[in-house]
Amino acid sequence: MTDKAAIRFQGARVVYPNGAVGLAGVDLDIKPGEFVVVVGSSGAGKSTLLRSVNGLTPLTSGSITVGGQPVPKKEGRELRRLRAGVGMIFQDFRITRRLSVMTNVLVGRVAHVPGWRAMLNLWPAADREIAFRALERVSIADKAWVRAGDLSGGQQQRVGIARALAQEPAIILADEPVASLDPVTTHQIMRDLVRINQELGITTLVNLHFLDLARRYGQRIIGLKAGELVYDGTADSVTQADFKNIYGRDPDAGDLLDESEAS
Amino acid sequence: MNEASRAAPGRPLRPARNWTLIIAAVGAVSLMTWWSARGIGFSLVELACNLPGGRRLLVESWPPDWSFFPRLLGPLLETLQIAVVGTVIGGILAIPIAVLAARNLTPGFLVWFVDRNFMNILRTLPDLFWAMLFAAAVGFGPIAGALALTVFTIAVISKLWSESLEAIDMAVPEAVRAAGGSWLAMLQFGAIPQALPHYVSYALYAFELNVRASMILGLVGAGGIGMVLETQRSTFEYPRVTLIVLSVLVLVLIIEKISESIRRRLV
Repeated sequence: MTDKAAIRFQGARVVYPNGAVGLAGVDLDIKPGEFVVVVGSSGAGKSTLLRSVNGLTPLTSGSITVGGQPVPKKEGRELRRLRAGVGMIFQDFRITRRLSVMTNVLVGRVAHVPGWRAMLNLWPAADREIAFRALERVSIADKAWVRAGDLSGGQQQRVGIARALAQEPAIILADEPVASLDPVTTHQIMRDLVRINQELGITTLVNLHFLDLARRYGQRIIGLKAGELVYDGTADSVTQADFKNIYGRDPDAGDLLDESEAS
Repeated sequence: MNEASRAAPGRPLRPARNWTLIIAAVGAVSLMTWWSARGIGFSLVELACNLPGGRRLLVESWPPDWSFFPRLLGPLLETLQIAVVGTVIGGILAIPIAVLAARNLTPGFLVWFVDRNFMNILRTLPDLFWAMLFAAAVGFGPIAGALALTVFTIAVISKLWSESLEAIDMAVPEAVRAAGGSWLAMLQFGAIPQALPHYVSYALYAFELNVRASMILGLVGAGGIGMVLETQRSTFEYPRVTLIVLSVLVLVLIIEKISESIRRRLV
């Protein structure tokens, strides 16, 4: 019950200052080691759902527990400790282009080393080793000393994944990780995420726009619509009618990656 | 523009000029200039009458007294050293001041408010004021000059750089926080790298200003070439004054060229 990798949403509600509802009271249990894909049209609350897990977006009401510990609503030491065990991957990579790949990955270790060591770039050998292994896991260890901004989009996203892995997290949150990538790279990155989930048993939540990707790579699919949970089931059992319910319309070619690639 | 193109259908007509506004503006500026010139007793007639005096000064100042040059080297070097010390110390102190004054990075409103006002006060008071203040506090000489330029450098860099910092993309700093990073880690790995080229560029710019300023600072006793200039001018050694002005001109030009070529490669 106190497994570090479990996530529990209870009446989780987020209302933004402008009145927009991000989450309209979500109850949801994520079991350790699950690979969950979250689908929904834009504005349905997919990002809010992920960002509330590591407190980037605080809940207005309700609660979220990660490994039995409630997510603190205020910035501070406790929230930082929780975030240290939760890796996050972003649509726009969010790596520092001007710094080396290695430094970017070591950012995944900042919460694990004393502040002065990070400040002076005196990372312990053990942490450098963790960073290197993270790079090897996504096959870009040869780029360790290259300026991150000089890499291709797919490689930059791998740096983002390696940074998350360097945290040695119990949970990975991936917010539209393939939305800025071409179809070939998209499949590579999705396979990386699935492989990491299987090999390391890291609980993974992925937001995706494309339905075929969701069905192909997800174990469990969660559908959000206007901040509410409208679907929760296995990837095998999801039907066209379910998608219609989630999106409020029939899915078309634009919702399928491989279709839009062909057109 | 010919009639045909003006009359072509579908083309907007050139809007009529607002002549009243133009006349009022020109009138207001003329009036203000006349009032100010009268106030300071500025008159073209008097200026023309005094021209021979100016000519005499120019004739007396030429040619420069080249034999004086060896005695300038020391003070010139000191001027440069004052500028270096002021730029480096001021440049370092400007970093936290700029960060706290950037709205997107500051840890709290109160810190931001105090820091912002502190910055504004530094900038409002001129470098000559600081030079006189420090000369009174630590005595006449290069240390007073270096301290004055330190304050001046903080004022220049912190203002410009805090604006660069406010313009950075906050997505990357957020990713550092998402990894459990502290405020300092967010600054170091997410925020500052994005604005680092701007910082170097502003520091070089401040150095250029400082070399120039350290000549003026000498006039109030803050060391460097300006002090020599003041002594020679007050004893009417105009050929030497010419030499001093020329050598400062060359020094400033050299520094500017080097600094500019580095800055162009940065941003």
